[in-house]
Amino acid sequence: MSEVTQTQITDMVEASGSSECSILLSTVKSLANWSRKHSVWPLPLGLSCCGIEFMATAANRYDMARFGMEVARFSPRQADLLLVAGTLTYKMAQVMTRLYDQMAEPKWVISMGACASSGGMYRSYPVVQGIDEFIPVDFYISGCPPRPDSVLNVLMKLQDKIDRDRSYELTLASPDAPSPLRVDEIAVLPGKRHGPPVALATDGERYVKQGPQKIMARGVKPQEGR
Amino acid sequence: MSKVTTSCMKYTDDAPEGVSEAAQSALAPLDVRWSEHPELGGWPGCLVETVRFAEACAALRDSAGFDMLVDHTAVDYPDRKPERFTVLALLMNMTTQERLMVRCRVADGASVPTLCDLWKSADWAERETFDMFGIPFEGHPDLTRIYMPQDFDGWPLRRDFPMQGHNRFRD
Repeated sequence: MSEVTQTQITDMVEASGSSECSILLSTVKSLANWSRKHSVWPLPLGLSCCGIEFMATAANRYDMARFGMEVARFSPRQADLLLVAGTLTYKMAQVMTRLYDQMAEPKWVISMGACASSGGMYRSYPVVQGIDEFIPVDFYISGCPPRPDSVLNVLMKLQDKIDRDRSYELTLASPDAPSPLRVDEIAVLPGKRHGPPVALATDGERYVKQGPQKIMARGVKPQEGR
Repeated sequence: MSKVTTSCMKYTDDAPEGVSEAAQSALAPLDVRWSEHPELGGWPGCLVETVRFAEACAALRDSAGFDMLVDHTAVDYPDRKPERFTVLALLMNMTTQERLMVRCRVADGASVPTLCDLWKSADWAERETFDMFGIPFEGHPDLTRIYMPQDFDGWPLRRDFPMQGHNRFRD
């Protein structure tokens, strides 16, 4: 692999515009998928007991490191997989959507356990009835909490999914091209997920736009200086 | 199990057994009424006027040695007119181990004097009561929601709040 230089990959990608070079393009995608699926760095969002079970999955008895996933990153900038483990409240949902927005493409999401997938037994006002109200989900794990076996099973399925992935395009972005990230609106990022916007505006952004009027709707004036 | 929607507490002018002389004399000028029976946990309780709630607590703290605010919360009795809420403060004298529950009644939308000037710990307790019941506390330094998101609509611990189906992204 060391003989494949960046220049060679670039040449292959550029040549892929013509149909006779699609084999080369396929090879490059296989290479990219192979490296991606063996270096999925999870961002564990441990919100309740599922987080403990994720720790068991990462520890030496079940040893997630066998799949190249031992590097749990607590920075979304360095993570590929958002693993939402536990009960998500609406107040925490804004943190989760912000983390998801900050992750670089390509990114995947696993909803771990009954609470993250459907609200679980908490059919109540503060609990989000499934994280897919906010972000797209690749895999749901059943269980309350799921055993580490289930988590490993789904992680392997995720590897298969990454390996099958042919949806993205390998293109060279011009340095003069405008950045896809915009501050004031939802950005549609080119890459793995074409189609609808990847995430709703975060709760904090909605709050900034709407202002504090709605907060004190019941006849209480907002405090000065807030 | 039937739903308790009105308070069944009865009040008299005489203090029950176990209330110290100091507490009685501290509350004497405030025209309080005492509950007939010991309340939950055997605490004696008293009912004061809403506007004198903080005044009563200050008198108990300064004159009768009730130096600890154990809890500060509210109860909703939706069928009681016109004052549906009972706001209560559980006080304790750390020296004599004496305990006392101070109550006041408040209607929907009316405010209660804050206890933040007396006990720092009343700050978050009152924010929680505001968050859950929508009872404003007059003089509170920062009366905002503490548990729920700032743009949440509704007061979850009121009895008429729906048990399920309240979802601000689906309505």
